[in-house]
Amino acid sequence: MSREFGGLVFRVHFCGMKHLLTTLLVAITATFSAFSQTRIDGKVSDTHGPLIGVNVFVVGTLDGGITDSLGRFSFTTQKSGELTLQASMLGYEDYTRVADAAPLRNLDIRLREKAATIDEVVVTASTYSMGKSAQFKTLDALDVVMSGNSCGDIVAALQILPGTQKVGEDGKLYVRGGDSEECQTFVNGMHVLVPYSTNVEGQNQRGRFSPFLFKGMSFSLGGYSGEYGQALSSVLPMETTDVATGDKLGVSASLVDWNVGGTKAFRRSSLSFNADLTSLGLYNILFPDRNDWTRPYRKLSGEAQFKAELSPRTVLKSYAGYDWTAVGLHQDGRSLSMREHIAYANVTLNSNLSNNCTLFAGIANSSVLNDIDDALVAGDHYHNFRNEVHLKADIRKRFTPAFKLTAGLEDYVRNSRKRYEEIGYDLGYNLLAAHLDANLRIVPHLFLNLSLRTENMSGSREWLLMPRATLSFVPGDRFQASLMAGRYSQCPADDPLARSKGQLRQSLADHLILSLQYSTRKTLIRVEPYYKLYRRLPLLSEGRYVAEGYGYSRGFDVFVEDASLVRNLQLTAAYSFNDSERLYLDYAMPMTPSYASRHNLRLTAKYSIGKVILGLADSYASGRVYPAGTTPYYNSLDANITWLAHPKVIVYASLNNILGRTNIYRINDDGSPVAATRDRFFYIGIFVSLKNNKAYDISNF
Amino acid sequence: MTSPISNLRTLILLLLVSAPLCFGQEQDITTRIAELKRMEAMEPENPSPKYQTVLACLNYAVMNPHAEPAERLLAEAEQTLGQLEQMKNADPSNNCALRGYLYMVRIVQDPATNGQRYYLDVQQYFEKALKLNPDNALAQQLQQKFQEGMRQAGR
Repeated sequence: MSREFGGLVFRVHFCGMKHLLTTLLVAITATFSAFSQTRIDGKVSDTHGPLIGVNVFVVGTLDGGITDSLGRFSFTTQKSGELTLQASMLGYEDYTRVADAAPLRNLDIRLREKAATIDEVVVTASTYSMGKSAQFKTLDALDVVMSGNSCGDIVAALQILPGTQKVGEDGKLYVRGGDSEECQTFVNGMHVLVPYSTNVEGQNQRGRFSPFLFKGMSFSLGGYSGEYGQALSSVLPMETTDVATGDKLGVSASLVDWNVGGTKAFRRSSLSFNADLTSLGLYNILFPDRNDWTRPYRKLSGEAQFKAELSPRTVLKSYAGYDWTAVGLHQDGRSLSMREHIAYANVTLNSNLSNNCTLFAGIANSSVLNDIDDALVAGDHYHNFRNEVHLKADIRKRFTPAFKLTAGLEDYVRNSRKRYEEIGYDLGYNLLAAHLDANLRIVPHLFLNLSLRTENMSGSREWLLMPRATLSFVPGDRFQASLMAGRYSQCPADDPLARSKGQLRQSLADHLILSLQYSTRKTLIRVEPYYKLYRRLPLLSEGRYVAEGYGYSRGFDVFVEDASLVRNLQLTAAYSFNDSERLYLDYAMPMTPSYASRHNLRLTAKYSIGKVILGLADSYASGRVYPAGTTPYYNSLDANITWLAHPKVIVYASLNNILGRTNIYRINDDGSPVAATRDRFFYIGIFVSLKNNKAYDISNF
Repeated sequence: MTSPISNLRTLILLLLVSAPLCFGQEQDITTRIAELKRMEAMEPENPSPKYQTVLACLNYAVMNPHAEPAERLLAEAEQTLGQLEQMKNADPSNNCALRGYLYMVRIVQDPATNGQRYYLDVQQYFEKALKLNPDNALAQQLQQKFQEGMRQAGR
C-alpha cells in the first residue's frame, strides 16, 4: 500500500522485524513531521463578503484547505521556509503569495473577480448567431426546416428575425431599408456571387444552400467588422459542418423536390455528395395557380464536399455545387423562358499555429450563366455570364487575454458579359482589399473592436479607407450594450457600372447602431435602433449612371424569444420599424424604395408534444409605396407540423397563408395590382435515413 | 396498494436520508476537485489532473443534475476541458469523449430543451473519440449508455 503526502512516500510492510523497524521509522518520521508542521489559516472574501469553497493550498504540494461558510480556512503543511500560497476559485483571479511559512496566520485574502477574456465574450450586437457559436441559440438546421413558412429555405427562415423586410415577389433578404443586393452571403468566409436560384416575378427565389450543410450561421444586420466587405447593409456568413464521423445515406421526397445524399467517413476526412431535383410540375397540376406555365419551375442540383483534418490543428474544407434552373410561362403575349446555370466552388484551409495564432486561406469561384427568351418582347433574347474569383488570407493572433489582432488581404476578380439582341457590354474589374481588426478589453466588462478596411477598385486611383468601431459593455452573462459605427462600401451592380462610362465609384453607407440585449437561459430580449446614411449610389442622369445618388434609412428592431412561459413552447416576436428614402437608379426625386415597408411584424410559436412538433407563424408587413399607389398590407398565417415518426424517418408538412389572403406585391404604373400567383402553398415531405447510426439525423443535405 | 399519506411518509424519509448524503457528496466532490486542482498546479504540463478534474465534475453532475453545485462544476469542467484541448500532449480521443460527455450531461439536465439541441453532438464526439482511438474505454461506455438512453426515449 502506498500513499503520497507532499512528495514523501511511506511504504508500510507488516512482517516481523521489518515491520517493527518500519513502524519505528514511521513513528520517528511522524513525530519529526509533527514538529515540522506549520499551520496556515485565515479567511477569503471578495467585495461582497466571505467566499465559500475557495481552494487555498501550498503550490507544489497537496497541502491545502477549502473555505467554509464564513470564508475561513485552516490547514497544516510540512513545507517549511519559503513557500507559494495560492487561493483559487472559478470566476476569480488566482491569489498568489510567496512568503515564509511561519507567519502565515490569520491571513485576510481578497479575491478579485476575473475579467472575461476577449475570447470568452461573444458580442451579439446586430448579429443573430445560429448553431453552437452562441450561448443562446436561436436557429439551427432543424429549426430552419421547421420554421413556419420556410419550406426548408434558409433565406425564408431568416425572415422571422427583425430587421428583415417581407418582399413577397422575390423572397430575397432585404435588411433595414437596404436593397437585397446589399446583403452578401459567405460560405466558410468565402463570397458567394449569387446565393439564390432564378425564378419568374411573383415566385420566391429560394436560397441555393441546404440548411443541413451548415453547423453555424451568423446573420449580421449591420456594423460588422473589417473582415467583410462589398456589402452595404448586411452579411450572412455560414460555416459548413466539420469532418463527418460516420457514414450516412439518405433520401427525401416531397410534392416539389426529391433528394438523395450521403457521406463516406474516413479516419481523418469525409466525402459527401448530394443530388436534388426540384420541380413544380406535379404541384401545378394538383394545385393550379394564376400563371400560364409553359415550363414549370425545375432545378437540378449537385453538390460535393471534401473535408479533412490534415493535422489535429489544421482543417481543409472544400465545397463544389452546380445548379441548373429552367422555368417558362406565357405572359403579356410572349413565351418567357428562363434558364440558369450556377457553379460555385471553394477551398479553405484553417490552421491553428502555435502561440495563439490562426492562419486562414481560401479561394472561391462563382460562375453564373443566364439566358432568357422573350425577355421583354416576343422573339428577343437576353444573355448574361458573370464570373467572380475570390481570394482571401487572414492571420489572427491573440497576444494577451485582452488583446487580439487580425490582419487580412483579399482580392475579387469579376467579369461580366451581357447581350440583349445586339446591345451589351463586356465588363471586367479587380478589387483589392486589406483589413486590420483589433479586439481589446479596455477595462473589465468594456470591450472595443476597432477595424480599418481599405479597398481599391481597378481603374480608380481611389483607396477607400473605412474605419469601423464597436464599443461593448458586457457586465455579465445577461446584459450587453453595444454602440457600433462604421463605413461600408460596395461596387455598383454590373449594369450601372457598364453604363457609367467610368464615372461610377463604389457606393458608401455609414452605419450607426445601438444594441441593448438582455438574456437568460430561456429568454432573450433585444432592442436595436439604427441609422444608415447612403452616399455615391448609382443615379441615372442624362442616359448614364453617376455616383450622385444618396439616401438614408433609420428605424429600430425589437426581438423577443421566450421558452419559459409554458414547458416545450418556444415563442418569438420580431418587430421592425423602418423609415427610409433614397435617390438612386432612375428615381426622379428622393422617395421610399418600393421594397421597403414601414412596419414588419413576425410572430412564431413552436410546441413539442412527444414526437410531434407544431409550428405557427404570422408575418405582417405594412403597405409599400409605388408611384401609382400603395399596396395593401401583407399578411400570412402559416402552420407546420413535424413528426419524428421513427429514429430514421422524419415527416414534415406545412401550409402557408392558411387564411388565403390575396397579398398584393406591387402596383403597376397604370395602377393595376400585381398579386401573388397563388394564395396558399402546401408542402409535405419525408426524410429517410437509409444508413446512419444516429437517430433523427438528416443524412442527405 | 399505498395511500398518498404513506407515499408522503416515504418521500419525507427519503429526503431525511438523502439530505445528509447529498451534503456529504457535495463536500466530497469539492474536496476532490480541490485536490485535483492542487495536482494541476504541481504539474501544469501534465494533462492527467485536468482530465480527472473534468471527469470528476461530469460524474457528479450526471448523477446529481439538479444539485446546487452541478452548474458550477459544469462551468469548471467546460473551462478545464478548454485548457485540455489546447494542450499538445493531451489525448484528442479523450478530449472528444469528455466533450461528448459534457453535452450528454446537458441533455440529462434538461432533456426537453437540450435533447434536440445536443444529441447529434454527443453522438459525433463519441464517434470521433472512437475513430481516434477504438480502445478508448470511456468513449465506449459512454456511447453505449447514451445509445441505451436514446433507445429508451425512442420507445
